[in-house]
Amino acid sequence: MQRYFEDVKVNDELEPLERIPTADMALDFFGRDNPTNPAFADAEAGKRMGIAGALVPGLLKLAWVTHYVGAWAGSEGTVRNLRVAYRRPDVAGNPLVLAGRVVDLRQEDGRNVVELEVVTLAEGEPSTRATVQVELPSRG
Amino acid sequence: MEEIEQSLITDEHRASIGVKGEPIQVTVKEADAHRMRDLLGDTDPRYADGTGIAPPYVISALGSPRRNIPGILPGGLLTQQEWRFTRPFRIGETLNAVSQVIDIRERLGGRYGYSVLITSAIDFHDSDGEHVAAVMTTITQFDPKRARNND
Repeated sequence: MQRYFEDVKVNDELEPLERIPTADMALDFFGRDNPTNPAFADAEAGKRMGIAGALVPGLLKLAWVTHYVGAWAGSEGTVRNLRVAYRRPDVAGNPLVLAGRVVDLRQEDGRNVVELEVVTLAEGEPSTRATVQVELPSRG
Repeated sequence: MEEIEQSLITDEHRASIGVKGEPIQVTVKEADAHRMRDLLGDTDPRYADGTGIAPPYVISALGSPRRNIPGILPGGLLTQQEWRFTRPFRIGETLNAVSQVIDIRERLGGRYGYSVLITSAIDFHDSDGEHVAAVMTTITQFDPKRARNND
């Protein structure tokens, strides 16, 4: 579905989306032939870092946020900027829920800019908090 | 738990702040775009095979040209990141990646006791010198052996 600037309001909420990260997913994300942090695939390596199991890569979560907002915007929308704070590590196998809402609408240099806050929730608590700017087309 | 009594940030580390690294060439690969798209379930027609355009998150696959970042403590966790896109990535294009350390600071307390936060930036330009994308990253370096809660 294509979303248009005129149809968006501040406090509009994005439909929550559950993702279940796995260690395999982390390896596939970076490519199995590419070197990555051992803690992404090895729960024991994660525990040595003080985490309860295999670590979910921050870049995977950021890619999920990008896709989540991109899908909300539609294929004529463009994600321009994402700023994310990783508040606490996530552990592979534990579900994450992506949720978001519109926090600002503005026009900059003739572009329709929508700003959203997006979080990943682990057991209901934000583990990642992102601010995303996306450009939307006008209906006109 | 052994406490660190003095800063581990040296003058050499401080001297690295603001110094740009040598440009490193990275290529936007179709295989990376395809693999990531499939994993995420991204069906956006803009990024489908044959369009020549890669989804923005392919930036994760452009390697880690942060070679001039000091390793002060053995553990590292991504704590903040920003991605900025000036234009879409084109499959097959080679970009020049230039990295620099923006800031090095330390923190006492929290889960790891003493930690060092290093913020770095990478800018990607195309062969015409046009800006394509940028990444800013803060990594918290720590010593896992000093963690307060190693559960």
